Amino acid sequence: MGRLLPGGGQPALALLALTAMAAPWWLGWVSVAPNRLLSARLVPLPGALPVTVAWAAFHLSCLALLALAWRGRVERWAEVVAVLAVLALAATVGLGAAAALPAGSPLARASPAAGAWVALLVLALATATASAARGGTPALPLAAALLGLGAMAVAGVFDSLSLAREAAGRAGELRAALLGHAALAGGSLALALLVAAPLSALALRRPALEAAFLGLASGLQVIPSLALFGLLIAPLAALAAAVPALRSLGLGGIGPAPAVIGISAYLLLPLARGLVAGLRVAPAEVLEAARGQGLSEAGILRSVRLPLGAPVMLAALRLAAVQAVGLAVLAALVGGGGLGSLLFQGIGQLASDLILLGVFPVLALSLLADAGLALLARLIPAA
Amino acid sequence: MIRFEGAGRRYGEVRAVRDVSFEVPRGSLCVLLGESGSGKSTLMRMVNRLVEPDAGRVLLEGRDVAGLDPQALRRGIGYVIQSVGLFPHWDVARNVATVPRLLGWDEGRVAARVEELLALVGLDPATFGGRRPATLSGGQAQRVGLARALAADPPVLLMDEPFSALDPATRRGLQAELRRIHRETGKTILLVTHDVEEALALADRIAVMEAGSLAAEGPALAVLGRDAPPAVQRMLRPEALAFQRLGVLPAAAFAEAGPVPGAPGLPGDATLRDALLLMLAEGTDRVSLEGAAPRHLTVAGVLAAPWAETREAGA
Repeated sequence: MGRLLPGGGQPALALLALTAMAAPWWLGWVSVAPNRLLSARLVPLPGALPVTVAWAAFHLSCLALLALAWRGRVERWAEVVAVLAVLALAATVGLGAAAALPAGSPLARASPAAGAWVALLVLALATATASAARGGTPALPLAAALLGLGAMAVAGVFDSLSLAREAAGRAGELRAALLGHAALAGGSLALALLVAAPLSALALRRPALEAAFLGLASGLQVIPSLALFGLLIAPLAALAAAVPALRSLGLGGIGPAPAVIGISAYLLLPLARGLVAGLRVAPAEVLEAARGQGLSEAGILRSVRLPLGAPVMLAALRLAAVQAVGLAVLAALVGGGGLGSLLFQGIGQLASDLILLGVFPVLALSLLADAGLALLARLIPAA
Repeated sequence: MIRFEGAGRRYGEVRAVRDVSFEVPRGSLCVLLGESGSGKSTLMRMVNRLVEPDAGRVLLEGRDVAGLDPQALRRGIGYVIQSVGLFPHWDVARNVATVPRLLGWDEGRVAARVEELLALVGLDPATFGGRRPATLSGGQAQRVGLARALAADPPVLLMDEPFSALDPATRRGLQAELRRIHRETGKTILLVTHDVEEALALADRIAVMEAGSLAAEGPALAVLGRDAPPAVQRMLRPEALAFQRLGVLPAAAFAEAGPVPGAPGLPGDATLRDALLLMLAEGTDRVSLEGAAPRHLTVAGVLAAPWAETREAGA
């Protein structure tokens, strides 16, 4: 099943395995900078025993991948050794950084060098290639890799890396930004659902309303996102000034309010399309039979339209959730907080670790939202 | 019983149903016969208020349905449609249980009723109860549809082309089942079809619709007889009608006494059409009827039969 040709090799996969092995030696494993703002220099990989064990494990895994690719045996094992290679690479970099930092200089920072990043990227590609050759998706290897990296982080393997130091130094700020980001994305999604769900249900019976609703939702997509946030600042500020009670609820021209309203405006289109389409999944004869048996319109919605349309609607919710997490980055620009505040701070200071500190959690939140909703969709029995 | 009094319905300029008045007696199986677009489905859907008449009224057991709550009304009327419309996400048992559950029956009573009904329509409850509609054949699905319509024991059944999408053998089987169920339960059934053969096979009474109006109504053989109104004759191709009538006439009623040595034998419960087909197949002009006393049928007797019956029925 997994083989492309009986006995045939996988030249692309073999090439990727070779590249992953060579890249760190050519472009460097670890670089060290005197402090977080100065530029870093490549350092040779220290000869400490744990580091040697780690890079040996990395090369063994890559060689195993090469051998599997050479012989065309790309089933589950190729994905397993690719994930092992990723973990060994991370361990090499983490342990290498700890050994490479000069003693007695607390400001010095160590980061993965270009070679390590290239190897990581190439291994990710190799995993995806192996999954595709098997005819599956790389969801399981990705989860395994994330789990392994998480366990290593908890064990303190990455503590010496600049990114971990940045995170440790800004733990409170990072936690607040992460919670703020989740609240921004979740709040926007909830607000958009609150508007889209009843309108979609009403649109079922009223074609004019459906056209107006979908037209409005499509029209909103044309306005650039930052411009929309900006446009909302003035009216919201005026509203908060006119009704002081709203200000105490946190509504104002600057802050999360324009961001949440703006983001939810963008979510209307994917949600509305998915909800309306989902409500239409139930075939006409099933609806006719439901009506003929004396189900009320509410009963038809609950017993027929919602269960039959759930997969379509959940797919729309998944798309909207991922969009919400991405758009919430921009909230920082109108004072709304979230992980965007770390990211834009990092851009302002040209501090790449700070940028990554904003980017990685956004990525994680996005993957989490996507995977969570995908799992929910799978739990609902197929109609 | 169901009574239409001057019922009519317009869609824009089109008068789908105009001024229809007739009565379906309690316990009868009345077939609404007509071509597509003749308004027969629209007329039937007035009974459970899926269509509201804009002229006249429809009475059910003497009460104007317009005054009844539509959902309560529909829960008290069995409804079977051509496309069946089983809920694809529910298993067969749950589909059959739809109306009893809506009516708030307790689980034990619902389960017992589902089993009883699946057995009534000829499906083994243990085998079929847990299956999804997608795994059923067309005939099995329509049996489930019939069980679902009968679930809450409604006195009236509305059936909209229930067997039209099935292959001929399955259709004949289900027609026989429906006749048996009608005999056993005594329901009042209003069935819409465009198929004259089906109408003759099932109906006590036939109402013929043409272009929204009622063209004829009465006992089945009288309506589709030689003296049928011109509108009915135009629609039905009278020369084919004679052959179709043979299909509902029992051979035993037209048999002559006396044995015919060497003639092919016909089962005692066969129809005249079976007799004619057997003669065609064997190339003979007489067949003997199996039974206690020796009897036989001649081709002349069969040829005279279709219209002879009408005279008897009219007399």
